[in-house]
Amino acid sequence: MTKKNPMSRALVRRETIAGYAFMLPSLIFFLGFVIYPMVQCVFTSFFDSTMNRDDIFIGLDNYKELFQDPIFRGALWNTVIIVVVSVPVVCIFSLWVSSVIYDLKGPVCSAFRCIFYLPVVTGSVAVTVVWKWMFNNYYGIFNYVGTKTGVLDQNINWLGDERFALGCIILILLTTSVGQPIVLYVSALNNVDQSLVEAAEVDGATKMQCFWKIKWPQIMPTTLYILVITTINSFQCFALIQLLTSGGPNHSTDTIMYYIYYNAFKLYRYGYGNAMGVVLAIIIAVLSAVQFKMAKSE
Amino acid sequence: MKYRKILAMALSCVMAFSLAACGSNSGGNADQKEDTNQTDDSKSDGDDAADDAADGEEEGGSSSGATDITLWTYPIGNWGDSATVEGLISNFSKAYPDINVTVEYLDYTNGDDQINTAIEGGKAPDLVMEGPERLVANWGAKGLMVDLSDLWTDEAKEAIYDSVESACQNNDGVFYEYPLCMTAHTMAINRDVFEAADALQYLDEEKGTWTTEGFQKAVEAVAASGQAQVGAVFCGGQGGDQGTRALINNLYGGTFTNPEHTEYTANSEENVKALELLKGMEGINFDASIQGGDEVNLFSNGTLAMAFCWNVSQEKNNAETITFDVLPMAFPTESGDPKLCGGIWGFGIFDNGDAAKIDAAKKFIDFMANDEAQVVESVKASSYWPVKDLGNIYEGDDLMTEYSKFIPFMGDYYQVVGGWAEARTAWWNMLQQIGTGTDVKTAVDEFVATANAAAAAAAN
Repeated sequence: MTKKNPMSRALVRRETIAGYAFMLPSLIFFLGFVIYPMVQCVFTSFFDSTMNRDDIFIGLDNYKELFQDPIFRGALWNTVIIVVVSVPVVCIFSLWVSSVIYDLKGPVCSAFRCIFYLPVVTGSVAVTVVWKWMFNNYYGIFNYVGTKTGVLDQNINWLGDERFALGCIILILLTTSVGQPIVLYVSALNNVDQSLVEAAEVDGATKMQCFWKIKWPQIMPTTLYILVITTINSFQCFALIQLLTSGGPNHSTDTIMYYIYYNAFKLYRYGYGNAMGVVLAIIIAVLSAVQFKMAKSE
Repeated sequence: MKYRKILAMALSCVMAFSLAACGSNSGGNADQKEDTNQTDDSKSDGDDAADDAADGEEEGGSSSGATDITLWTYPIGNWGDSATVEGLISNFSKAYPDINVTVEYLDYTNGDDQINTAIEGGKAPDLVMEGPERLVANWGAKGLMVDLSDLWTDEAKEAIYDSVESACQNNDGVFYEYPLCMTAHTMAINRDVFEAADALQYLDEEKGTWTTEGFQKAVEAVAASGQAQVGAVFCGGQGGDQGTRALINNLYGGTFTNPEHTEYTANSEENVKALELLKGMEGINFDASIQGGDEVNLFSNGTLAMAFCWNVSQEKNNAETITFDVLPMAFPTESGDPKLCGGIWGFGIFDNGDAAKIDAAKKFIDFMANDEAQVVESVKASSYWPVKDLGNIYEGDDLMTEYSKFIPFMGDYYQVVGGWAEARTAWWNMLQQIGTGTDVKTAVDEFVATANAAAAAAAN
């Protein structure tokens, strides 16, 4: 039996302490700004909480009200539509673009990545305001081009008509969501083991076969990450709604995030808003778990 | 390797200095807060004096016996402009050198949140400048404000207009606001377009009034002249919603609340009739993609021929964009007696439990609103009109004189009704419903039910 060196134990202890000390700032930040608000959110959801008066404990009443609230159900439905449409479209479109550009020459590939990434780095308010101009009922470019070319008989109130408003929101969301997945996919595709691809090509595999049998399994972790991130972003779609439609017309663009904001910061119903936040967090967690599970099984 | 280490060290230093720089700036929010009084002298006598001053501040005064108060003001004309407010407070400081006033400038997007957060944190300002819907109906109703009855002397009640006096108190007669200025929100038309459409015949240009029938005929004429969008009942949000409320209430003499301001009455026959009229009018559309501010822009750039969200500030602020003759108008009525929505702004005092601060705040209000040498300047800073007869304070200013004819049309100040925040939101949602085809009666009944439920909840 070898005797442990006391010096090395002290060294390990010192390194451990140093390690924790380095982690401490981010740990404090994480506890203070993530864990504490989460606990507070769950706690407050059991209270009738508003400004300038004491909170009243009401148990599960906020949750009961939630599922009887037609506007919340509508917001949930709209959120689901946004997720169901935007997540697959973002993933498929970004994978397609990446597949086309990843093996282009350096500057060309970089130029494409810049173009698609531009809406991501541009401020969301600026992007939204530009889209608002384009969709404008009176002088927007879509109406102008549509009426001039004869596609439209008359101007369409894109953001003020419940038939089109949600579609417009999804369209804008897509343009701001594809940048990051494209960059990630280009990087993942470049990391695919080329010797396997070349070997398969020598054996007579087609391009599609190479893609599905060799590249796709290797970029699966990236796909999973993109799926989860896009799903969470779609669920949390807020700025677009706030800046473009305020949930209208006639609640047709209300999302859960916007309805949380509306209840908490317009009506000062903090307890009710927090209850919605808890429900949203549970939905996102369940969906993410399912996505992980499915990806693992593949 | 060596160069990498040097580069890493250099970058670390840059980051550390950046953080230090951020830290040094965070101590004072120069854009937001300004101590507008001359307090440096009293705080420069060494550390002891500074410590004494700090102790004194906690009790509402400084070591030199001065009282420090804070004023938070919403952007009411130039009361949101630091240079103007500094001038006003400089006058106050000359009269009351023992009171230091610190000002914070709020905006309407975040102001309520800032004040509510301050209240929650026990750091509410001493003075706040806004209107009765906040001072009386919101913070006053919650017992957060000081009763200003001692400022409302018989002389003050005699001088201040009755409608204003009524708005500044709650139903129990407790005053939570001392008013300074007021305005009446109007609508406006593009006179050039109306003239070209021969529609000026349907209105009284001199008085700035028109009948409901005249309004219908004028809109028809303008629409027939080729102006596809004459006006828009904007309902994309609550911005400028007083315009749509005033339009609908005036057309057939409807009301928004009962006279006691305890119940919403927007589902009256008159209002339903007005909404149905608007819904069926060619040239008027219910537009859920714009709010009041957007409508003002569309009117100012000539896209719309009339604006329902208008007042003198809009004309001043958009003077560079407007290339036509703007004709401000009262809202059309059957009776010929329009009731305009107004704005009344003044001061309220948060009850922070410090008698010295409350007393100093009352002196500030009295000086700004009652001092003969000061009041005109205080009112002019708001770009609006006085709440009592001070003569024509805008002598020689044609624009202000033109708009002053609408002040007598000021109607009931119903914004003090309970559940106001919920009602405002329900209002534009109701207009959206009507715009998307919901039956008018069904939509207004739903609105009134929602708003009255909120009013009842607020009363409890």
